[in-house]
Amino acid sequence: MKTTLERHLNILDFTLASLLRRKGKNLSLLTIYLLVIFMLASLVFFVTALKREAAIILEDAPDMVVQRLVAGRQDLVPTKYAEAIASIRGVSKVRPRLWGYYYDGLNGANYTIVADDDSVTEPESAMIGSAIARSRKVTVGDLLPLISYEKVPLMLQISSILPAGSDLMAADLIVISSEDFQTLFNFPAGQATDLAVTVRNPKELTTIASKIAQLFPDSRPILKSEILRTYQAVFDWRGGMTVILLSSALISFIIFAWDKATGLSAEERKEIGILKSIGWSTPDVLLLKFWEGVVISLTAFLLGVVLAYGHVFFLSAPLFAQALKGWSVIYPSFRLSPVVDGYQLAVLFFLTVVPYTTATIIPCWRAATADPDTAMRS
Amino acid sequence: MRRSIQFLLFTAVNLTLFTLLPLHASHSRRINDAELKVQAARLRGLQLTDLCLSSEARYTRHPALADRHAAFQEHPLALEHFPSGSLILPSIPQRESR
Amino acid sequence: MIELASITKSFNSGRPNQFTAVDNVSLMIEPQKVTVLKGPSGSGKTSLLTMIGCMARPTSGRIFLHGIASALPSQQDQAGSLEITSLPERFLNDIRRVTFGFIFQQFNLIKGISVLENVMLPAYPTGESRADFRGRAEELLEMFSIGRHAGQRVELLSGGELQRVAIARALINNPSIIIADEPTAHLDSKLSYEFMEIVGKLKEAGKTIIIASHDPIVYDAPLVDVLVDMRDGAIVSSGRDR
Repeated sequence: MKTTLERHLNILDFTLASLLRRKGKNLSLLTIYLLVIFMLASLVFFVTALKREAAIILEDAPDMVVQRLVAGRQDLVPTKYAEAIASIRGVSKVRPRLWGYYYDGLNGANYTIVADDDSVTEPESAMIGSAIARSRKVTVGDLLPLISYEKVPLMLQISSILPAGSDLMAADLIVISSEDFQTLFNFPAGQATDLAVTVRNPKELTTIASKIAQLFPDSRPILKSEILRTYQAVFDWRGGMTVILLSSALISFIIFAWDKATGLSAEERKEIGILKSIGWSTPDVLLLKFWEGVVISLTAFLLGVVLAYGHVFFLSAPLFAQALKGWSVIYPSFRLSPVVDGYQLAVLFFLTVVPYTTATIIPCWRAATADPDTAMRS
Repeated sequence: MRRSIQFLLFTAVNLTLFTLLPLHASHSRRINDAELKVQAARLRGLQLTDLCLSSEARYTRHPALADRHAAFQEHPLALEHFPSGSLILPSIPQRESR
Repeated sequence: MIELASITKSFNSGRPNQFTAVDNVSLMIEPQKVTVLKGPSGSGKTSLLTMIGCMARPTSGRIFLHGIASALPSQQDQAGSLEITSLPERFLNDIRRVTFGFIFQQFNLIKGISVLENVMLPAYPTGESRADFRGRAEELLEMFSIGRHAGQRVELLSGGELQRVAIARALINNPSIIIADEPTAHLDSKLSYEFMEIVGKLKEAGKTIIIASHDPIVYDAPLVDVLVDMRDGAIVSSGRDR
């Protein structure tokens, strides 16, 4: 037992001495490897946490949203649809929603305008998201002028600012009264953007949805389960442009690693011959190469994952924020609840550490099984 | 100290940090989630359907409600121009399966 | 004692370019003596050495180690003899590691690592504690008066120093038999004499020494006990009288 441990330690000693000989090459390899793992792990952490956050937030989403389509595009829903839907058995409440987008020419930001007479009772007053307050440098009591479609400024007095903790839901929201909403957008009376439907028994949702579709062939019901599913599908670290960028990085790393690990140089071959001739056995040489792979890949994996965790959950993923932010001026400041998905990390481990270590050992096999007297004949 | 011991100590530190991650995660999740639930409850009346992650395009601001059947739908694999589209895919039609 | 019984080594057997490097050689090598295999290049000296040192197997014939291989008591018969030609690879390796020390013509040191580490290299896979063999390696370096180079990389050493590092490496596992293949081929006369002095010391220390060489400084040295003259893979003459 003790001798086995000593043997491993001794061979590991030599592995490290041997790796340090080509310090520049091996350090750059480690750095690239680390970077690839860091990016992949960051992405895994980021999207898993976002998915989870979305699930929590969307628990409060309406059971169903009914849109109306005109010539294949979303259009306003007449409120009389709401009455008809409310009379379907099992529907407990139908609420016409008024919401839309507003482009602020002043700072180039897009706002989401939501009408809600329960939260905003006063006319010409507004409840705004914290990101808007930050971007426009306004506080409670200040005026926020929005230009209506009639080119008349609508002076909104800010009644409250939503806390930064709600940014993930409401960073770009401006909540105003429905009357102001209609003034702002010259919105026709008796119409709504869409309908939020609440049902008594969620199991009947599909039945109710098909009834609605039958009643109004131009309607498009979106179920809560579909919204949730959308979020599960949307945040996928294997999807999007990221995968294209990452796969190209990954492929170039594989080529580099393959070249490094498999291209057994004449010098390395000679060294293996020397080791064999002075009494190292084939398993000893393979153990040496095993440690060589492990030292590089395990260090890169562990450090990469730890750094990625810090990047995503302590620094709020500045690298991805750039992509997510894109051209939007309003950006939520959120801190994600950390999630560590063991399965995803295991997949990452088996996609990186295992192939690299194998790629280091396999090419040495032939050199290591050569007769020890070959070194003597060189 | 011999090199192998140095390396093993270094790896042990890394491994400890690595195993601490889930512990730290579950700890701070308890704190964050409570706050998140309070905020979500506060906005329940608005009946919001989407996360506010990116406000540059309709389909990235409200992915769940995007008009997915519109022609010329932009898609990340088509190398479209919204940077946020690299992280947020347009929703996939699921209606047909029902 | 090492006993070779009708050893033959052929390469590329069965093919048109077949040649026999060692042809039906029988030889007794006595313990604690200096045996020199003398002969021109191509006479089969190196092939014979590799077979004695368990690096290669003969095509036919048998090699016995009598009262030497303490590493594998289970494989020995009552008389303490070990027939090494039929042993599986892993046993052969263990025997080779603890019984033989090798000194090569090209020195075969590993570049880029320190002198001390080069000397300790054969001890790494034995599972011995590093502190133990490190102490031994330092002693050996002191003994060959290259202790001050211990931390240096081998590329920076002169030919004579390299030779002494190679000898120290051969001795690290405390083998009873030292095998040297053309040890003076890359040394000038002064260094060659120095080498033979070291061989004398090793002989005094009770080592069995087998050297293959066609250098007169080696085979004419007074400390050589047995001279085996080889030509075309066979022994021409063998004996104490030179």
